[in-house]
Amino acid sequence: MKKIILLICLGLLSGVQSATLFAQQDQNAGIIKSYLVGLEYEVKAGFNIGGTSPLPLPVEIRKIKSYNPTMSIGIEGNVTKWFGPERKWGARVALRLENKGMSTDARVKNYGMEIIGDGGERVKGNWTGDVKTKVKNSYITVPVLAVYRFNNRLRGNIGLFASYMTEGDFSGHVYEGYLREGDPTGNKVNFSDGKTAPYDFSKDLRRFAWGPEAGIEWRAFKHLNVCGDLTWGVNDIFKKDFDTITFSMYPIYLNVGFAYLF
Amino acid sequence: MKFVHLLVCFGLGMTLMSCIRDEAPNSEADIVSCTLSSDILKRDPIIENAKITITVNPEADLKHLAPEFELTPGATISPASGTALDFTSPQYYTVTSEDKNWTKKYEVICIMSGSITDYHFENVKSYTNTLLKYSYDILFENDENGNWSMDWASGNAGFALTGSGSIDKTSFPTSSTTEGKEGKGLKLVTMSTGDFGKKVGMPIAAGNLFMGWFDVASAMIDPLKATKLGVPCSYVPLYLKGYFKYKAGDVYKDVDGNVYKDVKDKWDVYAIFYETDDDVKIIDATTRFTNSHLVSIARLSDSDRVESSEWKEFYLPFVTIAGRTVDEEKLKAGKYNVAIVLSSSLDGDTFKGAVGSTLYIDELELIH
Repeated sequence: MKKIILLICLGLLSGVQSATLFAQQDQNAGIIKSYLVGLEYEVKAGFNIGGTSPLPLPVEIRKIKSYNPTMSIGIEGNVTKWFGPERKWGARVALRLENKGMSTDARVKNYGMEIIGDGGERVKGNWTGDVKTKVKNSYITVPVLAVYRFNNRLRGNIGLFASYMTEGDFSGHVYEGYLREGDPTGNKVNFSDGKTAPYDFSKDLRRFAWGPEAGIEWRAFKHLNVCGDLTWGVNDIFKKDFDTITFSMYPIYLNVGFAYLF
Repeated sequence: MKFVHLLVCFGLGMTLMSCIRDEAPNSEADIVSCTLSSDILKRDPIIENAKITITVNPEADLKHLAPEFELTPGATISPASGTALDFTSPQYYTVTSEDKNWTKKYEVICIMSGSITDYHFENVKSYTNTLLKYSYDILFENDENGNWSMDWASGNAGFALTGSGSIDKTSFPTSSTTEGKEGKGLKLVTMSTGDFGKKVGMPIAAGNLFMGWFDVASAMIDPLKATKLGVPCSYVPLYLKGYFKYKAGDVYKDVDGNVYKDVKDKWDVYAIFYETDDDVKIIDATTRFTNSHLVSIARLSDSDRVESSEWKEFYLPFVTIAGRTVDEEKLKAGKYNVAIVLSSSLDGDTFKGAVGSTLYIDELELIH
């Protein structure tokens, strides 16, 4: 009886094993085939570290009291087509789901702002004091890149990215300071003793973002790359008709992570 | 190695561009303080955003007053601080900011407080902000010789901050009306402060009018503290008399927006009479009924807080607080203050009331 059970178990095990083997062989065959025509696949995951910032910093910003890159991640799948027998150059298209976020606490002086309330109320003035800002935007990004292989270990890439914002949050509050109503000669209104005024510009964020992207990959193991990719947004994160923040702000982020190379 | 280079370059680039830049010169053009020899001052000068009110003793020489001013750092003033000018009529000073981009014109008024006792609400001027497109009424009183005597204070400047007001003066809680009992009158309406008012925890503004001044700088931190009650008074008030019409708004809510179906909004009028000293120069609304300097209070009783579509009289006695007395010497020296306070919502100070509650007031009189 025991023998029979043992046999059945063995049979089952080997069956499972051979099935897995076949699948793997099948998959490997696909990858090898792809490799032969110069196609390469990669999945990447990493953290986005950076800021959504005016460049250069406007004179109104007096001090960055704190900065936190927050937990922002990017996950990407890409395909690279290598050219020529030497495979020095290639072209890459990727699809990336990512968050770009940060939180800052800054001290500003005479910072012009205008906020339109839900009921059309208009509040305009110049703020001197502290501003806390939280940014958390989610994007679907498609980078198109040229890839260059320096050697077997090191590759660099450069190109452009286009992003569509699926969800955006740009909000915060002002505290410990004062507002000059209208302009610097207007009524002075103090905010202190824990009194804050919240703001939320999420609705004014622009959906589309684009800019250059450049990165570097270092092959740590046969299938594992360590990579860093810089994305530099060149259009203002806010819509054109948004005047509250008088200067343009750009998302500039470095994605640091790992890639699995098939 | 190249990777490291790239990183270093990137890092340098970011820091260079993101450097905190040199501070720009000041844009503000404020008179921060106003000093005059203390023996001619009846009370501290009241400095508002573009106006200074100096109350002097009768013996002061108005024709040759030389107030000295302290300004925003770097700002300049013309005529220069300390210049002797004739203050029998208002004088105007122009302050220019350090960056030279902004100027502000200050009206400086000097008054010998003539204690007027009847208030007809016939005189109205307006404050208009062309940049923010709003305008509200400021009611004021003249003395028997037709000289300006005092501006009534209101919270309109605070309401303006919420962006809910417009160039229509009746879009503000406190306004003048042509439908007074006699001639013009006062109209107070409890209003919603809109999106921003709600966000800062002040969802309504009751129409209010009072003697004293509204410190708009503190309006957001503590509106009760911003409500400074009292003007100099050379007599002991005995009764407060006046006429009203009142209609309560429909829906009574508290500060969190909870609706109280059984509660009807009520209006309020009271007057306080108190002694001042070096420590307590003016009482703000936080201690209006409890301050140890109070001598007497006249207040509408709860049963009289009724609605009326016709003009109706109220006649309120000043009730002396037990143990408090009036010092005749100090009274002569102008050390007592009086304030009449009116509101279209009794609990408007804690942001409870019904939007739409409307109070009309006219022909107030302090009987002494």
